[in-house]
Amino acid sequence: MSNTDQETLAVTQSRRPPFYRDATVLKWLAQVAALALVLFALIFMAGQAGSNLQAKDIATGYDFLGVSLGSDLGSGIDTNPDTSGRALWVGMVNTIRVSIGGILLASVLGVVVGVGRLSSNWLVKRSCSVYVETLRNIPLLVQIILIFAVIASLPRVAIDQGPIHGWLHISNKGVSIPRVHIGDGFYQWLIFLLIGAAVGLWVKRRRSQRHDVIGRDTYPVASFVAVVAAFALAGWFAHPIFGWVGGIFDFIASVLDALTQQLVQLLISAAAAAAAVLWIRRFLARHRTPAGRTKLSDDDYFRVIFAGLAAVLAVLFVTVGWPGFSSWIINSGRDLFEVLGDKFGDGRTGQPIDAKRPDIEQLGNFPNYGPAGLNLTQGLAAVYFGVVLYTAAFIAEIVRAGIQAVPKGQTEAAQALGLRRLTMLRRVILPQALRVILPPLGNQYLNLTKNTSLALAIGYTDLVQVGQTVYNQTGKTLEVVSIWMLFYLACSLTISVVVNFFNVRLKIVER
Amino acid sequence: MADTRAAAETAERGGAEDAQAVEALPPEQPGLPPSEWIRKNLFSSPFNSVLTVAFGLLALLIVRGLLNFTFSEERNWDAVRTNLRLIFTHAYPEEQYSRIWVCVGTIAVLAGLSVGLAAAETARRGVSVRKLSSSLVAMGATVALGVVLREPSALTDIEGRVRRDDSGIMRESFAEAMTDRWAWWLAAAVLASAGAALWFGFGDERRRETYVRPVELFMVGSAVLVLSGWIYPWGHYAFADGEFIAEPGRTVAMSTKLPWTVIWLLLAAAIAAGRSMRRAGAGPNFTLALNLCWLACPFVLYWVVLRDPDLDWGRVLSVDIPLGVLFAALGGAVLWLLTDQRIGELGRIIATLLMGVAVLNWVAGFFGWYPMLQKVRLSFLLVALAALVAHNFAGERSKRLRLLAVWVALMAVFHYMATLMNSPSTVETPTEALIGGFSVTLIVASFTLLFSFPLGVMLALARTSRLPIFRVMSTSFIEVVRGVPLITILLFFAVMLQLFLPDGMSISLIAAATLGYTLFSAAYLAENVRGGLQSIRRGQYEASDAVGLTAMQRTLFIVLPQALRVSIPPLVGQVIATFKETSLLAVIGAFDLLRMANNVIPSQTQFLGVKREGLLFVCLVYWVFAYAMSKHSQRLEKRLGVGER
Repeated sequence: MSNTDQETLAVTQSRRPPFYRDATVLKWLAQVAALALVLFALIFMAGQAGSNLQAKDIATGYDFLGVSLGSDLGSGIDTNPDTSGRALWVGMVNTIRVSIGGILLASVLGVVVGVGRLSSNWLVKRSCSVYVETLRNIPLLVQIILIFAVIASLPRVAIDQGPIHGWLHISNKGVSIPRVHIGDGFYQWLIFLLIGAAVGLWVKRRRSQRHDVIGRDTYPVASFVAVVAAFALAGWFAHPIFGWVGGIFDFIASVLDALTQQLVQLLISAAAAAAAVLWIRRFLARHRTPAGRTKLSDDDYFRVIFAGLAAVLAVLFVTVGWPGFSSWIINSGRDLFEVLGDKFGDGRTGQPIDAKRPDIEQLGNFPNYGPAGLNLTQGLAAVYFGVVLYTAAFIAEIVRAGIQAVPKGQTEAAQALGLRRLTMLRRVILPQALRVILPPLGNQYLNLTKNTSLALAIGYTDLVQVGQTVYNQTGKTLEVVSIWMLFYLACSLTISVVVNFFNVRLKIVER
Repeated sequence: MADTRAAAETAERGGAEDAQAVEALPPEQPGLPPSEWIRKNLFSSPFNSVLTVAFGLLALLIVRGLLNFTFSEERNWDAVRTNLRLIFTHAYPEEQYSRIWVCVGTIAVLAGLSVGLAAAETARRGVSVRKLSSSLVAMGATVALGVVLREPSALTDIEGRVRRDDSGIMRESFAEAMTDRWAWWLAAAVLASAGAALWFGFGDERRRETYVRPVELFMVGSAVLVLSGWIYPWGHYAFADGEFIAEPGRTVAMSTKLPWTVIWLLLAAAIAAGRSMRRAGAGPNFTLALNLCWLACPFVLYWVVLRDPDLDWGRVLSVDIPLGVLFAALGGAVLWLLTDQRIGELGRIIATLLMGVAVLNWVAGFFGWYPMLQKVRLSFLLVALAALVAHNFAGERSKRLRLLAVWVALMAVFHYMATLMNSPSTVETPTEALIGGFSVTLIVASFTLLFSFPLGVMLALARTSRLPIFRVMSTSFIEVVRGVPLITILLFFAVMLQLFLPDGMSISLIAAATLGYTLFSAAYLAENVRGGLQSIRRGQYEASDAVGLTAMQRTLFIVLPQALRVSIPPLVGQVIATFKETSLLAVIGAFDLLRMANNVIPSQTQFLGVKREGLLFVCLVYWVFAYAMSKHSQRLEKRLGVGER
């Protein structure tokens, strides 16, 4: 390269381009302009909405949550809520119940169908593909409405009252199955189970060590299960001997009750200060090498200062910011232990677990299922079976793809080792397939949760349906929509956090 | 729309790929003798035998239940047959029905051309005659099995009601039932003998080598369906004096056998035309034109054919045409000037000034400084946008001329459509919406896809860009929309959108719903496209930088084509999902086919409470379309070999 060329290059590099050609300036200009545009549009529309609402004489705000709703809900933990807020809460609980139950059943069904699609049995393979191809290609809403219509056309509940001689009762009122519920002595029995689990774990570890020594199978898992089962069986009859545990909780409750607000404030402040001091000491210790302390960067100083500041803030919060916090802690702690004391209390000698069969009672003009069985009302049954069957079809496809993603060599190697088919599936294929399966599976769980909102179409009182009732009566559409969004975003976040947790644990450990 | 894009994709890819795909096809396995096959596939081990018996019983039970339900004398399938018109088009006036047939015909011709152009020339493609004949025999056997499985029919009185006695419904004896169902036996026999004829008609050698293309199978099947319309009055029913007859008179539904026959002929002709064009070597230009037709099809069919706008010719001649010409000329001049390679700095200044004017127009509109037609504002914006990106297309004279032609065409279409949309419709319907039923499902789905595709691509580009504000805005939009159920978004748009609009502006329910669908679907599409974008290796970016392409050129010509190709399978999945999601229209109060079956038909006096029949029919309609699309996407995936590279 000649001299002049280098000079030109140097000159071009040193001279900044004019601002209207400067890439950095232009990029930021474009971004700020886009942001301003979006903000402008949002503000404009918010202003429009405000004036439109004013013209219709609708005030905005969340006061309606405390006002009576004035109508009953079909099903839920509280069918006659006193306020709109309570009604929305009932809706949320219904949504969560359907989602969790749906996720459990859909996973089981999906895995069965997905494995079935890869079966060597032609009939099983075909049945499973027909299931998947049929349900996947029909909109969920149509399925839910169809199931609802089918349930509504079933025979009526018989007039004769009392317990039903059967395990399952299906009628136009929905589905009723036996309900397992916690009996009187359940908590004392739980102590037996806990002790059994501890002993079982110890036995299991011993058996594994023995396995390593002698080389023959010592059945560690089977012995663990056996020990726990033995304790459970013994506890079934002997659980009253733990009646004294309730007394301990009662004692803790009375100690908590005796505490004063100042004392708790002092304790919390001391704990905060101690935590800060300990953290700073550990932090500094980590920076100490045999050659002396390493130099702290600006960030490190900032961290130390921040730790101290956090402690000061915590102390200020409990003493000045919200003095009632301490007594709130005392009260709730006391209540908790009183409840525990009551649950574990003496004189509870009934069966730990009890089950009741469905019954029919006639309160008003029409007979209906009584409270003994586990009742799925028409709407609940339609939504539940709708989302379960539909999501299971998608889960089946994910499971199939995951299993097919495991290299064929793995199967062949397992067969060469002489593993049985079930062992191979459990020990070799599924663990590897799970890595592929888990992320899309999480997506399906999310979809299922969101799809329960289709309950609106058949009037099952989930959050969206209750929300619609509320805004039809109060006109607070924006507020209700904001509650919907927050709730569903929180659900999405929770599910993705849980799935991510397992995803990280399952990942191949790489260097 | 799936078929549009898929067909476009297939059409673009020439014969070389076909040859490749053929080579990749495994040879067909020689068949096992039946006893061997059963032993190997059904009873290979004790566990398998148990499974076979269990699943066989379960399957038989389910099939029997479905058959008993479907063919029960208590079912009122007339509710569906009489209401076919309602289910498909709702209240669209009967005397204007020819418009709907024009739409169906247009789509048939376009589809035929696309399919014909894409059809493989090579012989070994599709279903072998061997397989075809065995599945025909199997179908015949299935029909026969169904006839035997179904419980004997119930006895009915003269008015068609089911007779009951103390023990329940009175039924005929098994032997009577079997002889009564002679038509079904005949059908089974016809199917089985057709299969047998195919099997023995083709000699051993040819049987293995003869393949039937899916298109031909489809044409034969649809021909049978269309011909059946001439024999059996599917939807041709009337009520006369409260009695229900399959006769002319004041028909509730109307006969569609003639239009369907014409459309079948059109489709066949279009396929033939497409094939002969392919043989004649129709170039990519023709494919491009066809794809543009597909793109314009929803707009033209809805706004021009179905709506039949009433044009005010005085205004058209004095305002609309001059405006269109003016913008075509103005934009053309600007483009011609700015694509000159020597213009340099001046070009940017002009483009910025134009953008300033365009933005000023909107701001002025907001504050009411001076009046201006909305389409003038939009045209100005288009001119400014074209000016901003013009320098990417700078080149020699012929290239610039072509760009100019594209611009003039764009302006012509834009002004034409704007004029039509602003004219009132001459088709009068008793309902608020022009059309309902399955048509509205198709309309909403196709407009949703048309609008959400560019939006989704832009969101994906913003999410993967290095510009932080764009990235944050796009990410938060996508995550919020994806975290929320569709129904809440639709309810929000259906109930609340009116509140956010300026005074004097209103939006119909269907339009608001389409907007909601578009935003929702765009967020999901963006994630699919992002997957494609992330699959592109760094080398591609570096190479295009090394060649000296601008960021816009790199994105348009290097990155996006590759990214979109990778994301075609999930995009088709999204198309199917959108199609299924349109059923939610029923919940927000639009009259789509689900609402017809769930609310409208059960409230007719003749069919009070008849719900399940209509719902099953709706299931069938959705299933046929979604299943066809998903099968097509699977073939496409295999063909593109996305999973294998």
